[in-house]
Amino acid sequence: MRLYALGLSVLLAAALHAQPYALGQGYHVGEGLNVGGYFSSEFEMKGSQETFTLDDVAFMAYGDINPMFSYLAEFESVGFYHKNLSTGDESGDRKFHIERLYGDLWLADAYNIRFGKQITPVGYWNKEPINVLRDSTSSPLYSKLLFPKFLTGIDIHGYVPGIEAAQYHLFGQSNRDFDPGYINIPNTHFFGLAFEKEISNDWSGGGSVGEYITAVGDQRTRFVQANLKYDDSTWQVMGEALIAKSNYTHDSDDYTLSGYAQGMYRYTSQHAFIGRAEHFKDHYTRYEDNIAVVGYSYRPLYPVSLKGEYQWHSQNDEDRALFSFSVLF
Amino acid sequence: MALSKRRRSCIILLFGALLMKALFVTIGLVVALLGGQYTLIISKKSGLSSLSTQQVKDLFLQKRHFIGSQRVIPLNLVGQHESRTLFESSVLGMDRDRLNNYWVKQHFEGISPPLTQGSFESIKAFVQTVEGSLGYVPSSMVDSNVKAVYEF
Repeated sequence: MRLYALGLSVLLAAALHAQPYALGQGYHVGEGLNVGGYFSSEFEMKGSQETFTLDDVAFMAYGDINPMFSYLAEFESVGFYHKNLSTGDESGDRKFHIERLYGDLWLADAYNIRFGKQITPVGYWNKEPINVLRDSTSSPLYSKLLFPKFLTGIDIHGYVPGIEAAQYHLFGQSNRDFDPGYINIPNTHFFGLAFEKEISNDWSGGGSVGEYITAVGDQRTRFVQANLKYDDSTWQVMGEALIAKSNYTHDSDDYTLSGYAQGMYRYTSQHAFIGRAEHFKDHYTRYEDNIAVVGYSYRPLYPVSLKGEYQWHSQNDEDRALFSFSVLF
Repeated sequence: MALSKRRRSCIILLFGALLMKALFVTIGLVVALLGGQYTLIISKKSGLSSLSTQQVKDLFLQKRHFIGSQRVIPLNLVGQHESRTLFESSVLGMDRDRLNNYWVKQHFEGISPPLTQGSFESIKAFVQTVEGSLGYVPSSMVDSNVKAVYEF
């Protein structure tokens, strides 16, 4: 709650001293301080259950201390308020967690260092994890279950010498996570190498390899991932796929496969239609699901998002409708 | 007599068309020889001699901060001046809507748009004073105090 008050104070102070404000681009107080945040709310209909959730409430601050060093801090509460509209039950977690806290050392074109808690630089979806930046309310299972979404460690990154518009990330963590209760896969060891290439103005692609050891159960998983995207002003088509092999302490090795393909047609700059097909198969737990999603996105302004979607699952009783409203400020 | 008049008219029309074509070719050649309408300039102390379109794009989208070991600080002209619109469409390859959406996404990443300056004169003064700063001015403003690295 103290973080919540601090966040509001910083936003208020920033508003008083900021340059003209543009929604979605934060308050620019000075080169050393920009502040902003976001929130999202979600309404879900699944079977006879209807729920409402005020999900992400977050504040962030970032800036350049000097030309060689910059920072970012983000504090977030997930599940801020939840109400089951069918039963009337209410709950909520107003505790704020450290979502990201890192510094950037800018050293050279081919060699820069980010250190601290940061988003794992793998694929497309993981790097834009918040509702308002996504084009569908839901995220693919691919982005939630197969590798740690956050890294508490170091990412050495830069442009690959001799290859135009190609970047690499060599990242590593050899310690427990910062705020381990707030990560999808708590781990003690996480290393990886990611590569991405802007092929043209509209096309990009990339891939990564990595390894992590879970904090509970010492399960060692190695993964290979690939992604490809086409994006012009009207159409966006993207896909990601990942195969992971896990070594279990008291059991034999097993594989998990996952991938999705998504297409989006922007009818105008405000209106878009989305379709996604996803496959997920965990051989170890024998969990398999094929998911089809159709959705509609309306953005009266780009940082304000209203979305609706329907999901069909091959798993029983998982079909649902989702609606969301989110804002980046 | 009538046929002769028609033939003369045809010859005049043909000559006119050839003259117009020659004029357009000449204008094209002059523009190509003189270079672009605007020039990206950097401090003459900088080791950079030229930039590719991709490098300029990456620098102004704040994707990269260096060229080699040279820290680069991109500068935009404030507002909607035709030079900025031309730069965004022909070099960055993005219209204003797409660019605004891009900066919204970058806000979440902790990245702000380039610094802005109020006039070409202030861009040129900034470039002369701050090593590594990079901005566009009309090509006619380029002189020996700055170094031209890209034209559009």
